[in-house]
Amino acid sequence: MIRVTDLKKYYKGGAIKALDGVTVDINKGDVIAVIGPSGSGKSTFLRSLNLLEEPTGGSIVFQGTDITRKKYKDADGKTVKLNIDELRQKMGMVFQHFNLFPHKTILENMTLAPMKVKGISKEEAERKAMELLKRVGLEDRADSYPIQLSGGQKQRVAIVRALAMEPEVMLFDEPTSALDPEMVGEVLDVMRELAEEGMTMVVVTHEMGFAREVGNRLLFMADGRLLEQGDPKELFDHPQHPRLQDFLSKVL
Amino acid sequence: MIQLKNFSLITPYAEMFWQGTLVTIFLALFTVVIGFCLALILALMRMSNLRPLRFLGIDADGHQREQGTLAVLSRFNPLAFIATAYVEIIRSTPVLVQIFIIYYGVFGIIDLPSFQLFGFIRFERFFPGVVALGMNSGAYLCEIIRSGIQSIDSGQTEAARSLGLSQGQNMRYIILPQAIKNILPAIANEFVVIIKESAVTYTIGVQDIMSAVNVVKGSAYVIVEPLLVATAIYFCLCFPTSKIIAYIERRMSRGDRR
Repeated sequence: MIRVTDLKKYYKGGAIKALDGVTVDINKGDVIAVIGPSGSGKSTFLRSLNLLEEPTGGSIVFQGTDITRKKYKDADGKTVKLNIDELRQKMGMVFQHFNLFPHKTILENMTLAPMKVKGISKEEAERKAMELLKRVGLEDRADSYPIQLSGGQKQRVAIVRALAMEPEVMLFDEPTSALDPEMVGEVLDVMRELAEEGMTMVVVTHEMGFAREVGNRLLFMADGRLLEQGDPKELFDHPQHPRLQDFLSKVL
Repeated sequence: MIQLKNFSLITPYAEMFWQGTLVTIFLALFTVVIGFCLALILALMRMSNLRPLRFLGIDADGHQREQGTLAVLSRFNPLAFIATAYVEIIRSTPVLVQIFIIYYGVFGIIDLPSFQLFGFIRFERFFPGVVALGMNSGAYLCEIIRSGIQSIDSGQTEAARSLGLSQGQNMRYIILPQAIKNILPAIANEFVVIIKESAVTYTIGVQDIMSAVNVVKGSAYVIVEPLLVATAIYFCLCFPTSKIIAYIERRMSRGDRR
């Protein structure tokens, strides 16, 4: 579904290499956990996938289109400009700091993009939003404002807000790192449910339990490079790369 | 010497002070509308990312140049340059000079139709006054709006864009509503400043409160008393306005803590 080849992100003309040649395939239904020490480039990698960061080099082929190029040739050989907004609709993203829109109610947060971007009617968008809110047990908070919610509730809303656009892949950027410990569980539960339903997910996380149990693949990054990848349990039990051994000895 | 009987000399001119007050209010209202529109355009220009010479910054291998003349040229943004130059020039010159330049310079060439708005506002003098004040406050409001927009957390933009909203939709639905709420006090404060600053437009013959003072001075030979009347009027305009603003501001921030 997404084929990342030799992805590079340099700052200051190559003096800082946030991403230094990452190659990975993301298949439909994959639940990929990305772990690594801070500054290893995991967030940059995730944010490059929907071009919140513009890569310096390499390619990201999403549904047959290299999205790192501003222009591409379509099936008829015509040159088409890349429509970044159309692409981002298909990739939901959940952020560490939730990034709900504080001036809108929970319901408005969820219906804005479906209405303005997809052109869905208000009734339809609200009906779908309520359905999603019910799924995460927050239907009674529809008319609340984000500031009235706890961190865990905000993050659950952020997840269903992204789901309201019916994305084909969900990107999670440390979704539980800003939460109080007792709220981590409720968010992970929602993510686990989502994974069981077959959603394609890429999760940058420090929750080793989640990475091990829920993910079907694990990526270990350090210094902007993908050092090891494979089955999570295999990697956790028998880490090969010394950096991964070192990392696991510190976090487990 | 302030004498009570001198105030009675002003009474025949009460109508003039009343009309002058209305002129001042209209002047400030029109100015703030023009100023705000101009400021919004200027602010968006300053924050735009239009770089026509961008291609100069790419070297033969397709990498971004980091330094050198070509790298500097490639970052050149004409819209931001024009807006910045405009703001800095306006902010570094006296408003009186700007009014004279607009009135004698610009509208010395363009002939304005001569008629009266509402029967007592002379359009050919009122209009240049509004344009000059609007251009002036536009520069100040631009900085207010820009700081307001930049004060919004970048995560808001990221969230909006990741949902598929375009740059323009993000501005319209996410950033501006939050930014305007933050900068409303500053904009309203600018409105009070304009009410006071509009006093200089009497120098180009706009018949505001100050021009009424001048008429009384010239015909009744009293100066301090009409000035005190003008002071009272300006105070009665500005003080309640700022109080109302403060009230609305409290109401709105209460909404945040609901």
